Amino acid sequence: MKHPHWWTLDVEAPFTIGPRELPGRVWTASGCFAYGLTGHDIAAQDIDSPYAGIGAVVTKTVTPQPRPGNPMPRLVEMPVGAINSIGLENVGFEAFIAETLPALAELAVPTVVSLAATRPEEFGSMVAELHAAGRDMPTWHGVELNLSCPNVAEGGHDFGSSPETVAACVAAARSHLPDRALIAKLTPNVARVAPLAAAAAEAGCDAIAAINTVVGLDVDLKTGRPVLPRRFGGFSGAGIRPIALAKVDEIVREVGIPVVGIGGIDTAEDALKFFALGCVAIQVGTAQMRDPFAAARIVQDLRRAES
Amino acid sequence: MGLLTPTTWDLTGRVTANAPVSSGLLRLDVELPRSVTFEPGQFAMLNLTGAGQLVFRRPFSILASDGRTMSFLYRVVGRGTERLADLEPGEAVDCLAPLGKPFAAPDAATPPVVILAGGVGLPPLHAWLSRHGRPGDLACFGGRDGGDVPWSLLSDEWRVSVDRDVDIPAGRQAHHGLVTELALSELERDGDPGPRLVMACGPTPLLRAAAMLARDRDWPCLVSLEEHMGCGYGVCKGCVVPVRLDGPGDSGWRNANSCTEGPVFDAADLDWERFGAHHATGGAA
Repeated sequence: MKHPHWWTLDVEAPFTIGPRELPGRVWTASGCFAYGLTGHDIAAQDIDSPYAGIGAVVTKTVTPQPRPGNPMPRLVEMPVGAINSIGLENVGFEAFIAETLPALAELAVPTVVSLAATRPEEFGSMVAELHAAGRDMPTWHGVELNLSCPNVAEGGHDFGSSPETVAACVAAARSHLPDRALIAKLTPNVARVAPLAAAAAEAGCDAIAAINTVVGLDVDLKTGRPVLPRRFGGFSGAGIRPIALAKVDEIVREVGIPVVGIGGIDTAEDALKFFALGCVAIQVGTAQMRDPFAAARIVQDLRRAES
Repeated sequence: MGLLTPTTWDLTGRVTANAPVSSGLLRLDVELPRSVTFEPGQFAMLNLTGAGQLVFRRPFSILASDGRTMSFLYRVVGRGTERLADLEPGEAVDCLAPLGKPFAAPDAATPPVVILAGGVGLPPLHAWLSRHGRPGDLACFGGRDGGDVPWSLLSDEWRVSVDRDVDIPAGRQAHHGLVTELALSELERDGDPGPRLVMACGPTPLLRAAAMLARDRDWPCLVSLEEHMGCGYGVCKGCVVPVRLDGPGDSGWRNANSCTEGPVFDAADLDWERFGAHHATGGAA
């Protein structure tokens, strides 16, 4: 990849989000890399490890109670992405704290824990417990509040679309998180995202992650019905990149809070577009499902660009 | 599970052959930059490179691995396999393999095996029989008709059944009917066959029939599922299947990743009532 003249950032140099440093600016996105590769051994000839150069792994979202997730089918591949309706399947917060968090402590890469809930006080109590459990875990960097997952029935995609709700959730989490990063992940499914970002910033978050998936639906022409049992899901992948870039630009220019860019980043060139708009870091989502080394390869390509 | 599985490699290989082996089935041979070992039942996630790249790789059971060449069998059923069928020798293929839990190798306590392979479900069982088959094992393949059967892959030890009794090549034989019927008639020819281990891969009706055949006789049964997958390596939760929490009789269930906890499952662990029509579509799209 050709090195653009304006590109001076070292994505593997330590930088700060919240009170602590992270080792890199390319992360894996929530829901696309589970809790890292526990129990797996995946190798490639051109790169050391799926974690090489990665700044953080954002976990699959954890909810207060275990969730079995949505009925199958859960994925619809589109020409430029995919619509998912996984439904936040996860083991629940209690099992996460007891079993998953200790496993994450063994990873060489920092962890950002993604949390979802339906009420601000649930965010508050989860963050308080997480803080108690993770206080001595040096690689626990912080929390990403999933305020925007479009395929959870209770709340749905409207949950994170009111500035008041966003502010209440961020404030509840912030009050229990004095010394780790707090990131609010926002929905793109609103006319204007800057008011949400401003509310989150005002309530004390350290950065905004944008965007989550775009509400989408596909129809099975054989049946005439939506492919997904819940009709709509979250559209991700290359097709949402222009939407993501527009929403990121709106936040960066109007709110001035650090932004972690997400949305259809497949390659180093895609990542550069987000950095060009002022993102402090980026996350790799759908591409990571196709390629366990996707984020690491983006780092590798950005490194080549700097030499 | 305690199974020691080989390291998964992410490699870009080159197509060395991509041609029909029957009216409906194609064989793809990919030469990889290094040799990759696998256990029968494991699969690979394949994708095209460059402009033809699919959003998600597609899962294919491994038919064989010879040196650096890995072989697969597929049927054209959707956008992914359509693009795969267009690949010419020399073109690049991304390959993540091996993945998933295999069919276990037999030990002294393993009873003789009954193999039930339906259509594109042949590779894992063909690989198992080639590597682990013992005298007394019974291998049965079911195809749509004589033209659909990949005869060149099936040695004489394979029994064959077809839904439509046409296009059977000279010198070969095929039972007209279900592959489970064929297996039972072979097994019961000389009276009570004694305990067997049933191993099946193919369309959902075949898997259900295999599980029922085994359950009725109190035989163990392993099935290899062919779910649509997103990632294939356990991170996306897009290929889950319902399994019983504590084995037969328990009313609880949970979702299991068919990519990492399967694709081979003990049929008694699967919750067949919840295993809906959307499951096991008979191969990757």
